[in-house]
Amino acid sequence: MAIAGLIVTLLGFIISVASLGMSSSVSGRMVIVLVGLVVSLVGIIGLINPAYQKKAAWRK
Amino acid sequence: MTRRIAILAVALLMVSLAWAQAPATPPTPAPEPAAATPTAPGAAPAAAPAPPPVMITDQDIKNVPPPSADARAKGDPDGSLTGTVSDVVVSDSKKGLTIGDLVNQAGQNRVAINFVWTLITGFLVMFMQAGFAIVETGLCRAKNANHTMMMNFMVYGVGMLAFWLIGFAIQMGGVGALGTLGGTPVLGGEYAITLFGKSFGLWGQNGLFLMHKGTYDVAVMVMFLFQMVFMDTALTIVTGTVAERWKYAAFMVSSFVMGAFTYPLFANWAWGGGWLANLGGNFNLGHGYADFAGSGVVHSVGGITALAMGILLGPRLGKYNRDGKANVILGHDIVLVLLGCFILAFGWFGFNPGSTLAASGNGALRISSVAVNTMLAGMTGSFGAMLYMWLRYGKPDASMSGNGLLAGLVAITAPSGFVNPVGSAIIGLIAGVLVCVSVEFVDRVLKVDDPVGAVSVHGTNGLWGVISVGLFADGKSNYGGSWNGVNGNVTGLFYGDAGQLVAQLIGVCTLVGFVFTFSFVVNWIIDLCVGQRVAAKAELEGLDMPEMGALGYPEFELKASAARM
Repeated sequence: MAIAGLIVTLLGFIISVASLGMSSSVSGRMVIVLVGLVVSLVGIIGLINPAYQKKAAWRK
Repeated sequence: MTRRIAILAVALLMVSLAWAQAPATPPTPAPEPAAATPTAPGAAPAAAPAPPPVMITDQDIKNVPPPSADARAKGDPDGSLTGTVSDVVVSDSKKGLTIGDLVNQAGQNRVAINFVWTLITGFLVMFMQAGFAIVETGLCRAKNANHTMMMNFMVYGVGMLAFWLIGFAIQMGGVGALGTLGGTPVLGGEYAITLFGKSFGLWGQNGLFLMHKGTYDVAVMVMFLFQMVFMDTALTIVTGTVAERWKYAAFMVSSFVMGAFTYPLFANWAWGGGWLANLGGNFNLGHGYADFAGSGVVHSVGGITALAMGILLGPRLGKYNRDGKANVILGHDIVLVLLGCFILAFGWFGFNPGSTLAASGNGALRISSVAVNTMLAGMTGSFGAMLYMWLRYGKPDASMSGNGLLAGLVAITAPSGFVNPVGSAIIGLIAGVLVCVSVEFVDRVLKVDDPVGAVSVHGTNGLWGVISVGLFADGKSNYGGSWNGVNGNVTGLFYGDAGQLVAQLIGVCTLVGFVFTFSFVVNWIIDLCVGQRVAAKAELEGLDMPEMGALGYPEFELKASAARM
């Protein structure tokens, strides 16, 4: 789960860099970059952190 | 009667207003039109003939009288005899003073001003380490005071060692000529790949040990000192988030790796001639990623690495109940915390205005504007946080007011060179509120334990600062005519350039997507190798004895134990 989260987080970065080649318009790039940002945040907040929260000491 | 007095008062007011608006001197009559030769309609009037150039010779310079020996013998209480022609360095004593000597002196004076400015502001940034140390120690419990102080103390040395050996070369080894510091070209070895048909600079290659490839150079030394203290600021942010549970040996290894690789990589991309800086020239996105003094490069890199570490290490024992409810673990000295905030605010006058790397030429007189923007954002940040806490919880919380000051300063760090005072006040105010909301989110929703609020102060508000450049940059700043090699001034969305905002957002994605992943993986490997977290017994006892071998406050500890605190 944590490793999947890391992959998704990195994928968000790759999407934002790919926006430079995928679109030549400012608005098109902005949309793609925002998608990349959301993907990275999902990776951190939605995958990596919950994976570590499951085995947190305070739950035991 | 009252009505008459009112009419009289109004009449007097109108007379005084009319008098105040009247010109103080009678208007001068318009000059008679000259009987000039007729010009075509719409043509510009003929310019007045330029005066003939006046030739200055070496002999003219030799005729400038130095102060007499008699006058100098009486001292110089008003300063009029010091700094005259007799203080200009003469290259050949047989020839005496020449025009060449004057020109060389002028050039050296400009570079000397820039050297002194950059060095002194670097010294101010170095002193911020003291501020960070006491803010973090004050927000931790007394039983961990020695450990927290020692981390903040040694992060300076560990970071400097890593940066001297490796980090500086990666960050600045390909930046090219340092224009404001004399134009030395020895830092010119950027490793780049080609992507989408454009060059993507990834890391620098010159400058290992400050000896490699001609980098034993006076301008490089200035640059190293200034960049080193910035890097150390990023490193010390992490020690706050994982305070009270970080194994000291792991801290040393993790900080070395961050100073050698994590920070320099992103700093190269933003400041060292890397691909983010060239988004403007290569892809027509404004002036490329613009981060004047490091909201992203320094604070977000530190704050995002702190988030990765906070997730990896988990919360302190006792921070969360079994039902997930968060407990407040109070720090031991609010006096230290607020004093530290003041020290940091003082140091920020080095951080932001010093980032011009100049006080003479290339638009560097904007240091005044940068300094005032810094003050204003800090002020509105502390107001924003204090009012938010007062309205939400009924009291103006001291530690959050301090964090609001720091949040405002963090947020204005990137835009300080590009925005006007109103923009900086708005950026700081938003940062002050944002830090409170972010602390609650990290603490209650993410359940990441951050004793000092570093993730929110530096991570969240660092990102906000980066974005705010793309919104509030007013297009008035001009540092030598271009920024990141793109002619013209940095201009944000509110002033007409949406492309700048896209460049800033790509920087944000790089911080969140790449820096987080890199930091997490590196520290995960360190965790596997040496273990990052102390044993539960040591954590409950306090880290001073188990990790450092001595208590921070031995007598205070005895009293605290007796009172069951």
